[in-house]
Amino acid sequence: MIMPDMDSLAHPQERRFNPYTENGGTILAIAGADFSVIAGDTRQSEGYSIQTRYAPKVFRLTDRAVLAVNGFAADGNMFVKKVKQRLEWYHHAHAKDMPLRAIARLIQTMLYARRFFPYYVYNILGGIEEDGTGAVYSFDPVGSYEREACRAAGAAQSLVQPFLDNQIYFKNQEAAQGTSHPSHLPLETVLSIVIDSFTSATERHIEVGDGLEIFIALSKGRTLQGMESIRGLQELTVTEDGERLFVMRRDLKKD
Amino acid sequence: MSIMEYNGGSVIAMVGKDCVAIASDLRLGSQALGISSNFQRIFPVTDRVYVGLPGLATDVTTLRERFRYRVNMYTIKEEREIEPETFAHLVSSTLYQHRFGPYFIEPVMAGLSKTPSGGFKPFIAATDLIGCLNFAKDFVVAGTASAKLFGVAEGLWEPDLEAEDLFETISQTLLNAVDRDAYSGWGAIVHVITKDKIITRTLKGRMD
Amino acid sequence: MDHFPTNWGRPRNDAFDAYATYPIHQRPYNGPKDTFADGVQRTQQPIVTGTSVLAIKYKDGVMMAADNLASYGSLARFKDVQRLHQVGNYTVIGAGGDMSDFQYIQYILEELSIDEISAQDGHELGPIEIHEYMSQLMYARRSKMNPLWNSLLIGGFKDGKRFLSYVDLLGTTYSASTLATGYGAFIAQPLLRKAVEGREDVITEEEARKILEDSMRVLFYRDARSMNKFQIATISSAGVSISDSMQLETAWSFAENIRGYGAQTQ
Repeated sequence: MIMPDMDSLAHPQERRFNPYTENGGTILAIAGADFSVIAGDTRQSEGYSIQTRYAPKVFRLTDRAVLAVNGFAADGNMFVKKVKQRLEWYHHAHAKDMPLRAIARLIQTMLYARRFFPYYVYNILGGIEEDGTGAVYSFDPVGSYEREACRAAGAAQSLVQPFLDNQIYFKNQEAAQGTSHPSHLPLETVLSIVIDSFTSATERHIEVGDGLEIFIALSKGRTLQGMESIRGLQELTVTEDGERLFVMRRDLKKD
Repeated sequence: MSIMEYNGGSVIAMVGKDCVAIASDLRLGSQALGISSNFQRIFPVTDRVYVGLPGLATDVTTLRERFRYRVNMYTIKEEREIEPETFAHLVSSTLYQHRFGPYFIEPVMAGLSKTPSGGFKPFIAATDLIGCLNFAKDFVVAGTASAKLFGVAEGLWEPDLEAEDLFETISQTLLNAVDRDAYSGWGAIVHVITKDKIITRTLKGRMD
Repeated sequence: MDHFPTNWGRPRNDAFDAYATYPIHQRPYNGPKDTFADGVQRTQQPIVTGTSVLAIKYKDGVMMAADNLASYGSLARFKDVQRLHQVGNYTVIGAGGDMSDFQYIQYILEELSIDEISAQDGHELGPIEIHEYMSQLMYARRSKMNPLWNSLLIGGFKDGKRFLSYVDLLGTTYSASTLATGYGAFIAQPLLRKAVEGREDVITEEEARKILEDSMRVLFYRDARSMNKFQIATISSAGVSISDSMQLETAWSFAENIRGYGAQTQ
């Protein structure tokens, strides 16, 4: 008869509780001269299971600030909740919305406060600066951040970021004789690059798909310039005096 | 660390209109340390078939010789050049013979196959390190930058590209992908195979 | 004399600091310990467990199902356990995972309900509030590295609106028109999605019941930690009702044709 292994009985196997998981998905933001586009897919998954086809990862903070969070969903939701709470307190204290660069620094501080038990979340903050320029700030889970013109993060970051290098920064492309590459692209171009990026990522990454949510922040005085009738567009602006905010929802493949 | 990533390097192949292209970076590394910036990873098999061998550099040499030997034996026995489809299966069976102690290479093949009417049909294929074949209709990728190559290629590639457009597409795909990969880069080489000539160009790339 | 009240009545190390001359940051600390300190690893594992909970939205509200088994490993230990629990007048909470943690959750929610009723402020807890409360509780406990080892489905109907959402031991939340925990997420969820998605406003109560029964039957066939005795909860404008335990018709004649799992020789 085979005896049970007494060693393994003596020490009951200890499975340490893992307080983290990965919930898939991808986020992306691109800054224009006087606008900013922040997008994310809406699939939430764990392992090979799709938990839901609609769980937002991109959130309106103010009329000129949008935050995309990706990684561990529970941490992400809690983090957004706490950022919103701090912005509300700021509003009560100063009777105005917090400027974008201040929100960026706030996020860095809040992330670093949890340096030894981090929020397992990659953040991308997009919106309009006080000088009216479109901006994107990207963060790592412990708060390192920088302002950029574009950034992808999440499950399909490695698929999307080099595509953006090529299409936004014109990397490895030589401008024609006597011309130069534009430093900022028009909104229409940016939107098609965003949609192409997500359809590509959906095609080749199992954790990306179901739905696409694109937030568009416009600088004070800027209009949609003929894009009002674009499919699935909806205005979210709360105040009438400044920046305008839109959201656009698209379907992505569900397989 | 993974043996597949020990030396670094990536290969991609694409289908165009009556042509195919295959391209690779030129880096040979020892983990993070760069060793060479002119390491050949793509080899001609016949006049119309090329194979790329990303993976462990020592196995690149071994497999290259092995394939040369087996293709020569095939040519002698059959008294004709090997077709790309046949070569793909030759690659697959060679790798699968070592199922439980594999060569750490994921080959990528590109070529033009003869049609019964005497024309040529584009052919690309790739396998994993134990020879599981993937016949794709658009593009195949392999190596340390494969995820990046997939992302860019999925965005840039379109059907029925002419030879020069295919060259531009595969070059841009490769360069932008390897620039985001620490283990690939240091220049690139591209071969475009058409029915009457092969265009080979060496590309400058970022050297960081 | 030890001048620090927090150390009074506790073991002292005379060899180390007989006269309490060391600065405070080096003195023995008897308060609550840091999460990462050794010896406070309250990391548990589930002991007596419940398996899947299923839930779907339908025309009039939300319907949920869970069997009555609480397992002790592979032993079917308790066979008359209620895993669907009513909270307030509009909500049902269904639990998989550790049943003692679930009983603690029931206790907490009972306390909460009493507090809310006592307030008599004209507000009542609905499914949205209870789900938010449970998410915060579950997330707070995971953040203390002392989780409540459950997957919970919270279904309800209040102010003319259906509500169905999930929360688990990590504080992960999500909602959809069909939800399933545990093995149900692998086995029943595809069946539920096929039957429900896009038809949430069409499915009748009878149809919803049939969808859940069919899924529970499949789970009973394939989930070794399940039991053919279960309850169904309906939450609609008529309020909450949790059925008595019931059984399903099953057929096992196919079993003798299964080959390749042990006993048969060919």
